[in-house]
Amino acid sequence: MLKLFLTLRYLRKRKIVLLSVVAVALSVALLIVVSSLFAGFIEVFERSAVEAIGDVVVFPPARFTNYPHFIHRLEQTNAVDSATPVLSARGLVHLDNGNVRPVDIWGIDPVSRSRVARFKESLISQESSLFESSTYETAVNALVGIAVLSEPDEKTDEYDMDAVRKMIGSTIILTTGTVSRQQSTDDQTSPKITRKTLQLVIQNVVFTGVYDLDKRFVYVPIEQLQKLLYPEQESPVTDQLQIKLSENADEATALAQIRGVWEDFAQTRLGWDQSLIHQTTIITAKELQKNFVVELYKQMGLLMLIFGVVSLGVVVLIFCIFYMIVDTRQKDIAIIKSCGTSNVSVLSVFVGLGCFVGVLGSVVGVVFAYIITRNINTIEKWISSLLGLKLWKSSVYMFSKIPNQIDWSLALQIILFAVLAAALGALLPAIVAAKTKPVNILRYE
Amino acid sequence: MYKFILSLRYMYKRRISYLAFLAVALCVFIVVIVMTVLRGLVTDFKQKNHNFIGDCVIGTESLVGFPYYEEFINILENQNFVEAVSPVIKNYGLLSPRYSDLNQGVELLGIDPVKHSRTTAFKESLFYHRDNVSNAFVPPYEPNLPGCVPGIDLVLERDERGNYRQFERPFELGLSISVFPLTPKGALAKAGLGLVNTKTFYYSDNSHSGLARVDNSTVYLPFNQAQLLCGMQSPIERASWIHVKFTPDTKLEDSCVKVRSLWLEYKQTLSNKPGAELLAGVDVRSWREHRRSYIAAMEKEQVMMTLMFILVGLTTVFIVFVVFYMIISHKSKDIGVLRSIGVSKTNVIHLFSFFAFVMGLSASLVGAFFGWLFLSKINEIESWLFEHFDFQLWDRTIYAIEDIPNNVEIRTLTVIIMSAIIACLVGALLPSWKGSKLNPIDALQVSRL
Repeated sequence: MLKLFLTLRYLRKRKIVLLSVVAVALSVALLIVVSSLFAGFIEVFERSAVEAIGDVVVFPPARFTNYPHFIHRLEQTNAVDSATPVLSARGLVHLDNGNVRPVDIWGIDPVSRSRVARFKESLISQESSLFESSTYETAVNALVGIAVLSEPDEKTDEYDMDAVRKMIGSTIILTTGTVSRQQSTDDQTSPKITRKTLQLVIQNVVFTGVYDLDKRFVYVPIEQLQKLLYPEQESPVTDQLQIKLSENADEATALAQIRGVWEDFAQTRLGWDQSLIHQTTIITAKELQKNFVVELYKQMGLLMLIFGVVSLGVVVLIFCIFYMIVDTRQKDIAIIKSCGTSNVSVLSVFVGLGCFVGVLGSVVGVVFAYIITRNINTIEKWISSLLGLKLWKSSVYMFSKIPNQIDWSLALQIILFAVLAAALGALLPAIVAAKTKPVNILRYE
Repeated sequence: MYKFILSLRYMYKRRISYLAFLAVALCVFIVVIVMTVLRGLVTDFKQKNHNFIGDCVIGTESLVGFPYYEEFINILENQNFVEAVSPVIKNYGLLSPRYSDLNQGVELLGIDPVKHSRTTAFKESLFYHRDNVSNAFVPPYEPNLPGCVPGIDLVLERDERGNYRQFERPFELGLSISVFPLTPKGALAKAGLGLVNTKTFYYSDNSHSGLARVDNSTVYLPFNQAQLLCGMQSPIERASWIHVKFTPDTKLEDSCVKVRSLWLEYKQTLSNKPGAELLAGVDVRSWREHRRSYIAAMEKEQVMMTLMFILVGLTTVFIVFVVFYMIISHKSKDIGVLRSIGVSKTNVIHLFSFFAFVMGLSASLVGAFFGWLFLSKINEIESWLFEHFDFQLWDRTIYAIEDIPNNVEIRTLTVIIMSAIIACLVGALLPSWKGSKLNPIDALQVSRL
């Protein structure tokens, strides 16, 4: 009781203690905001990959046919929820006068794609169905990434949605190419690049919020792209398969199951030899991003280390403040010691006060960090309008919105660290206080 | 003199001041390192952009380009502030290596290698033709074939240390490039005739500008062939950009203003000529304005980092405040004696401010020295860490960063030291003011001694 009384009294009466509370709060808030923004960015980055390509991707070393059979067999396993084919190519689109863009073309099956990836939700017009039949005889309906059609505004980083919507229904020209084998003079085949062009009608616009995807992709029906690129192929062809796993599927087991089905399919249906089969990459979307994610975590760790080291100043600050309190309150300490309070109890008064400062500072810091992080997009908008300077741009940082979720597990670690640091700062003055000799302090002369 | 002696004495005798000293030194140490690295990255990035662009560009973002560029080049070349001028064709193309079915969208830059090297650092970015840039587009394995210079990341892979394995001579590689040729109105020039122009160029050299976006997506072609491929040779010859380099003694902004007025003057003389409407979108920009969107992002990150350090640095101000508060509380008798022999209140403030100044200066000098020492070894430390613990500050296979920048800039250092001194002065201000208000009668009365 006495300890609590003294702790609260010192906290109330010695205003300078509040300075250490402010310092702890500042450091905690800064560290939580920085770690939450980083962790949020990484989380959104990983999630956007899953939303774009599903949980698992099968990349064979070459195109393969009869994929509906493979999908059917995959979907029979308990690990796979659904799968969708992708036939990919690269090309150029001529949008309008003087406006040409390099793009990635994905031939997709819209129905199965909507089951595997978050695709339908990213279309800006939700009214039209996916790939309705084209009103033009020779043209093919296409879904085009928003940043292929327009660039976000320099100051607001927002797209002119009216202008984008107006482009729906307009025609664009796509060129891409395939390599065909030709018989050359020396009885060998040599590759020949054939350019193919296709008239596309923009049926809808894809706005995922991930700039890289919105800038790169044009989606067309897989059958149409196959007809354009590989007209000689009669059975359906694809060059990768994207898979959504069942709700509770274990990733490692699912990958093993998928590999088993693939090996059997490639051997029996495609007649591939073992070397070709083993060149197939079956990988989770998260694993695909791993190198970059590891790098992001490393940079986050470094930044936290730098701010953490600078924040160690808080330990010094608490030490100084507590030393001062102990120095000026020697008589108090001597009196309570002369009443029979043990050294440990005196020590615990000051260490307890240190912990209290740490907890109070952390609570204030967390509240402060919560307010900043949750409103980070609004704050960024204020700064932009105030300075005319857009801090966050999707073209630079990939996403159109700043991640605004607090990472509570990291926040908890930071709080623990702050409380420990505060207790550490209070420890030495507390030892000095505990060692106070009441006889020396309270003697009359 | 007494201020100086007392300051040094307090710093030496009052051990608590060591803590403030340490806190300031640590803060300066970290800030010097982080800011030097960050500033080095930004400066390096800006320099690379400057090298890539030259000093100034005249042109349009439209891929149609603009006509009558040659006459304007002549005008520019006659100006005494212009050192070199280079016309450039820009377009997007589809690139396919001859023996694979890979397609890749790339940015095409049609240049005259000699003129472009005079204007930009194109020559220095080459590997095989640095000494003979006029042959940059001549493949050594077949000099009669049309050559091209792809960005280094299009043809070579970067190892884990960020180095490229260059061969003794360029390997034989045909790159088929397709482009939509455009009419002066921007429509497809080959409507109904396959729509695209395709031509195979042969790898003659690679260009390493150090800018990731350029090195992994740009292919340089000979100016005339690029012009032909993009349909910019007829009916009126067009170019996309004119890059300009100014003489060394001129100021960038002033020279850009001069070029702008020359351009406006020239544009007026062409108002009745065919294709003059294409000149409306032509703009004159300095290299900074032209690459603003790329550079601004890095500069903003530097500003954000500085702001965060200011926030964290507040703790150091608090430490100084508390330490000074303690020292002044303990030295009330000294202050009483000083005041009683006629030292004014202002001089008491001066005394402690001088103490704060000495502490800020000495601590920041120590912090800066250790920061400089650490930075001078930072690349060796990173190499050692990579060798023994597989740790790199930046994964060089992902980031186009070479060595960690470690050149301590005097201006940055001065700003950091000044900030540390100001922080100490601010921290000491309130305790000094409180000390100056001390009444010598109260401080020296026998009951308090």
